[in-house]
Amino acid sequence: MKSETSNNNLRQLAERLVQYGKKQGADEIEVTLYDGVEFNVDVRLGRIENLVEAGSKFCAIRVFKDKRAASASSSDLSISTLQTLIKNAIRRALLTQPDEYAGLPAPALFKVDYNSLKLYDPEVSRMKPQEKIKLALTTEKIALQDKRITNSFGASFLTNELRTVLANSNGFTGEYLQTYCSLSLGLQAGQGDNLVEDYWFSSKRHLKDLASPEEVARKAVERTVRHLNPRKIKTQNVPVIFEPTMTSWLLAFLFSCVSGMAVYQKTTFLADRLGEKIGNDLISVVDDGLLPARLGSRPFDSEGVPTQRTVVIEKGVLKNYLCNTYAARKLNLVSTGNGDGNSVVPNNFYLEPGTLKPEEIIKSTKKGLWLTKTIGHGLNPVTGDISRGAFGLWIEDGEIAHPVSEITIAGNLGELLKNVEMVGSDLEFESPICGPTIKVAEMTVAGI
Amino acid sequence: MVEKTKTVFPCDNHFQLRTSDLKKALELALSRGGDFADIFLEYRISRSILMEEDIIKETSESLTRGLGIRVIKKDRTGYAYTNDLSEEKIKIAAEAAASIASSTRAEISQLQLRQIKPKKEVAVVKSLATSSELQKKLELVQKAYHSALKFDPAIKKVQVAYGESTQQVWIVNSEGLSIKDTRPMVKLVVQAIAEKNGRRESGFYGGGGRVGLEFFSSQLTPEEIGREAAKEAYLLLEAVEPPAGEYPVILAPGHSGVLVHEAVGHLLEADFIRKKTSIFWNKLEKQVGSEQITIYDDPTIPGFRGSYNVDDEGTLPEKTLLIEKGKVKGFLQDRLSARLMKKPVNGHGRRQDFTNWPIPRMSNTYIDRGEYSAEEIIRSVRKGFYVSRLSGGQVEDSGKFTFSVTLGFMIEDGQITRPVKQATLIGTNLDILQKVEMVGSDLEFGLQTGTCSKEGQDVPVSDGCPTMKISRMTIGGVR
Repeated sequence: MKSETSNNNLRQLAERLVQYGKKQGADEIEVTLYDGVEFNVDVRLGRIENLVEAGSKFCAIRVFKDKRAASASSSDLSISTLQTLIKNAIRRALLTQPDEYAGLPAPALFKVDYNSLKLYDPEVSRMKPQEKIKLALTTEKIALQDKRITNSFGASFLTNELRTVLANSNGFTGEYLQTYCSLSLGLQAGQGDNLVEDYWFSSKRHLKDLASPEEVARKAVERTVRHLNPRKIKTQNVPVIFEPTMTSWLLAFLFSCVSGMAVYQKTTFLADRLGEKIGNDLISVVDDGLLPARLGSRPFDSEGVPTQRTVVIEKGVLKNYLCNTYAARKLNLVSTGNGDGNSVVPNNFYLEPGTLKPEEIIKSTKKGLWLTKTIGHGLNPVTGDISRGAFGLWIEDGEIAHPVSEITIAGNLGELLKNVEMVGSDLEFESPICGPTIKVAEMTVAGI
Repeated sequence: MVEKTKTVFPCDNHFQLRTSDLKKALELALSRGGDFADIFLEYRISRSILMEEDIIKETSESLTRGLGIRVIKKDRTGYAYTNDLSEEKIKIAAEAAASIASSTRAEISQLQLRQIKPKKEVAVVKSLATSSELQKKLELVQKAYHSALKFDPAIKKVQVAYGESTQQVWIVNSEGLSIKDTRPMVKLVVQAIAEKNGRRESGFYGGGGRVGLEFFSSQLTPEEIGREAAKEAYLLLEAVEPPAGEYPVILAPGHSGVLVHEAVGHLLEADFIRKKTSIFWNKLEKQVGSEQITIYDDPTIPGFRGSYNVDDEGTLPEKTLLIEKGKVKGFLQDRLSARLMKKPVNGHGRRQDFTNWPIPRMSNTYIDRGEYSAEEIIRSVRKGFYVSRLSGGQVEDSGKFTFSVTLGFMIEDGQITRPVKQATLIGTNLDILQKVEMVGSDLEFGLQTGTCSKEGQDVPVSDGCPTMKISRMTIGGVR
């Protein structure tokens, strides 16, 4: 177990490397050190299958020289290696071309209070391996009592503890410690060649917030058996209901389309559209790095920029792109604290919930698809086009009629945002990107 | 935390460890009664270059050094890893991995490590990328960039990414094996964006493999890579929406190989077989598909991205017959699965890096050539869909899979006609395997740029196939 207070060794190493870089001629330098401890147990059919325990450290470096950028990283933290990497990076930077937008962020005017974020739970660190193993075993055991379940992919429990230390030549030094724990279970049902599979999980920063083994098992079973005995359907255009995991998937695609990197590169259909009405009034999307105990919260981003609450879409109007320092400079905007190395990541990126219960949304549907799973790669941010393999439940007269398989859904994110008819109240923060149940007026569902 | 070693890369022994240190760690790993233990040491240097908006934006250099210790007890795996190769940290890792077995003490026989050399060299390298001047690589990137940009005025944006790595591994195990290998890799890819009348489309092309820099002058020039990416984006500007519904489908040679990877390869990985989660688990020697189909996985093809001299648990790899004339003939084995299934290993235990234990994986997977010419196959379809480029796919253990088609064409009266943009194909593997009607004689491999993900681990792979006709398949599009 580590102390929650600062780690002086890591801090000193980071600061020493920053000074070394300056001495070697870097105009600006940023050093990030990660120190993590991982535990993972996989159990399957009542027995431990894998047990992992490890600690590891990692270092990431960015240097700027005459507005030219270079970066480096290493899992070898010996000082001589890191110094060589810094020297190499400065030399490499000089071989590239100047980029007026490159460089560290200006020093921030304020700091986020680390304690208010509640990122660390000492209970997670204190937990004994035996307790963790038992949680996984119990979860699977409960699920296997259901006779409809014919095989198991296993249950896993994992914990992570990670310290991040960041120092740069603009005078920033910061650090934070975070924990993460997750309980998950994958199941299979069916006979012969007619197999179906699904899973459920709970992941949190604090142990007390984690769903119980009973709940994870119950949901995993429910989610698996509902796919049994699917039918094929004819190709048609129908309303599609996205369950929360599916809304999250759609939001992940939306995130890639409002990322400042994609916007300045014009590889998103949402480029140059700030202030435009891109969705209907039901759509409000927020990125918030400050929500206490949420998975996507952090006091500062990878560049030391304090995180914040950013309204991305307000009642259908595109308000903000999510930016790191580079994208912000390119777009003449301000960083939103979404930096991650040279790219942009979500903090907590979510769709504001509505007032309807998911059952009410299903009931309102005369004929349609309740989308439960998609597979494949068919997302194109340049056009907003969506085309994926899909699984779901067929709705007739407001009730679940039967599962469907071997279908694909196709549509366009731009159209979808305008065609959302209903938004559910069931927002849960199980991942950094999340949303409630939503109903879209029409998509093409292709079958036979 | 700061180590005493004076190592500054490059150097011969990046690990600064002696065989006797590893022997000691293996003995400790087995001290609680494990059946088997191994240690995977990795030292990898990776570099990348990114060009966009007419300038070289960024170069990076990344160093990976560490080791992973695995202990197997029956079907259970204990694993620990560390980036700190000090005696103390290795000892902690060995003890953590050992705890998968629970005896208080175990008899350990004296371990003798004997050095074995790989039999074959799959890397085809004259000029090792990681030892070459940066300037040369910057030139490659710039050539690819400008070639794409000048293809047509409609090309508005180009992004070029170059990557190289050399991974050195050293694997020792409690059966006395000690083996080292060096694995070079290079990759040059271009993404081009074309824009016309308010419509925007993107195209992609690239190449590389376990080859040296000379590959980009002798086999595939940066100019060609740039041009092909631009051409795809340009073609897509004219592409129509895909049809939705069931149609006969013809797969182009090479790029469609991802179909065999997803629809068949994954489900023949031995971990899914022994756990009985794959629908193939009870189908060895059974007819599962058309007699037209024969499938191999071959990690020994020279220069290919998926190739290796030794797998990530020390086994020398073999070209493995998976399906012969529609009949299941073999599985992709790693050590653990082979042992539990009482089958021979065939060198398919792979891992992403030292933080992961090996699992059964594909390498270079392909459908073997058949007897038809491509023209014959295309001529046989009155109305259907021609898949020119598949960008990726996904499969479930139950056999349901999808593929994303970045570029397709309509087939009308036996002729390839209009280009079709982004579509998705979906099916169930047993069904599709039975619906393969014709297999062409024109076996080709896809772009040497692919990466396969399984259980969070990414490894380089490639795949190939000849022109193939599937009698019916569901195509997702808009109506």
